[in-house]
Amino acid sequence: MAEAKWTRRNFLKKAGVVTVLGTAGVLDISGNAWARAGTYATLIDLTKCDGCRDLAMPKCVEACRVLNEKRFPVPKKPIQDLWPQKTHDDWSERKDFINALTPYNWTTVHRVQVDGEEIFIPRRCMHCDNPPCADLCPFGALNKFSDGAVVINDSLCLGGAKCKAVCPWQIPQRQSGVGIYLKLQPIPAGGGVMYKCDFCHDLIRAGKIPACVEACEKRLGNKKPLYFGTRDEILRMARSRAKEIGGYIYGDRENGGTATLYVSRIPFDQINDKLSEKKAAPHMGKARSLIQDVNAWAAGFLLSPLAMALGALGLVMRERKRKEDDTERKEDGK
Amino acid sequence: MKERILKEENAVLRHSAIERAEHWLIAVSGLVLLFSGFGEFPMYKRYMVTHIPGLSWAGDFWINLKIHYLAAIVFTGAAVFHVVYHSLLGHRGLLPRKGDGKASLKTVLSFIGIGEEPPADKYLPEQRLAYAYIAAVSFILILTGLIKITKNLPFVYLPPALITGATLTHTLATFLFLFGVIAHLAALALKVNWPLIKPMFTGRVDLDYVRHRHSIWYDELIKDLPPEREPEKEEKTEPPAEHPEEGKGEPRGDQTPGEPRPVDEQPAETDKSEDKPATPQDS
Repeated sequence: MAEAKWTRRNFLKKAGVVTVLGTAGVLDISGNAWARAGTYATLIDLTKCDGCRDLAMPKCVEACRVLNEKRFPVPKKPIQDLWPQKTHDDWSERKDFINALTPYNWTTVHRVQVDGEEIFIPRRCMHCDNPPCADLCPFGALNKFSDGAVVINDSLCLGGAKCKAVCPWQIPQRQSGVGIYLKLQPIPAGGGVMYKCDFCHDLIRAGKIPACVEACEKRLGNKKPLYFGTRDEILRMARSRAKEIGGYIYGDRENGGTATLYVSRIPFDQINDKLSEKKAAPHMGKARSLIQDVNAWAAGFLLSPLAMALGALGLVMRERKRKEDDTERKEDGK
Repeated sequence: MKERILKEENAVLRHSAIERAEHWLIAVSGLVLLFSGFGEFPMYKRYMVTHIPGLSWAGDFWINLKIHYLAAIVFTGAAVFHVVYHSLLGHRGLLPRKGDGKASLKTVLSFIGIGEEPPADKYLPEQRLAYAYIAAVSFILILTGLIKITKNLPFVYLPPALITGATLTHTLATFLFLFGVIAHLAALALKVNWPLIKPMFTGRVDLDYVRHRHSIWYDELIKDLPPEREPEKEEKTEPPAEHPEEGKGEPRGDQTPGEPRPVDEQPAETDKSEDKPATPQDS
């Protein structure tokens, strides 16, 4: 009988090996933060960006707005407060505001002075390799695509703003009075739709480059601070540029790695200090990957079922043995 | 363990220690999963659950996620144990049978005074249906949960459609799970079900209750009473901790309920040592 060959010791030994190998696999590979990275990335060289200071609106900001205007929210008014809270988010009367990320402005350029040097910093979604916004959205309304883009599905987004809360840079911005949450009313759930840069995902799929990079290139040619390319190229470029200027990179390690890299001659913590003085968001400070803390527990999903299956098998064998003994005893007694 | 009549206690051994441990592991981890799972919706802060003393942490998605992982590890482990253990031992008592839908309806109607409750086996027909429901929902939750855990790993790339599908299914199944838990707890509010609460803690259910409500099971238990034995033999042999025959909960749906007979009238003599509250050997 096959059953007889499955002694408990045998089984424990085999299962033990499988468990150890499985766990080792998870733990080893999970250290490689780059493995999930998308195909493309961008580099923003802060030593070259002049913030288009002679123009009313930086070219990258303008290009982003022009391209995405048709996707901007058109809220149904009056917008109700998000019960029981007495607030809601409405940027529809301030569509022209370009000094921060809003549902109508997915790229912004910050300006800071560090040691007498003026620095312009184009900001938008970092497009993390392992984006917590997409990982934690309870409706799967955010996705990381293989090109590297992290995209919000505005027809599925309920506007709970969890993505903003778990984003290390609080990038996504909510507009209330729009989206499928309105269909749930009067149930007080959801609060609008979240908006942010989508890395010009559709353009990349069509073999083109993001609008901001293209606009920057048109204006500055070879002197442009924005580059788009495969992530290997971009990473190489960032490292070599950082070496050349004795500078720093931001975005390669932050939150486990992103598809948006910055190079600067001035340390990023100094830039970040100035940003926080101005209360400008997003920051350029540390961004630890909190999803990695949670991932440390993932091995439990291999270990626990295996241990429990083993335990169950052990108990089943004991039970069967007892039954056999009982039968024998009964037969002996006859 | 084999379910059996404990004559001296006027009770029936209904759930082994293992079964009770399974139930409570699933119950506690399931409730923790529900709380932490709802904590993954952006709602505790908005609806001011975080204002409740001791729950200020509840608005933190990361804390909730860690709790959710931990409880899910317990839940998944217990579910795997449940399936392996009971399927290998051939336990089928909780699986739905033909006619359970109709019998459940009759039972529920009897609660509001329409008709009479049909005689039941160890489990009531609606318990078998409820079990199938919660097992199916749990299976969906575990499967989609595992996909969600996998996609969180930094080295894994899963297609967006799969992630959105698994995430939405997990979220919707959460509401089905919640509904199941509420229905389960609501059933406990009915007085007729009260005798079933104690055995979830002690393993023992009142014999008179079994005789009246679970007459099909009762007849089986009576049949299983050990045959008459010669006293000398019994003294020599250590009393078996359980009966050698089949595992508990075998399907007996095809049986017609017999007229309940008091234990005392049974021809078989119960071995006294068997009446002792057998420390369930499984614990």
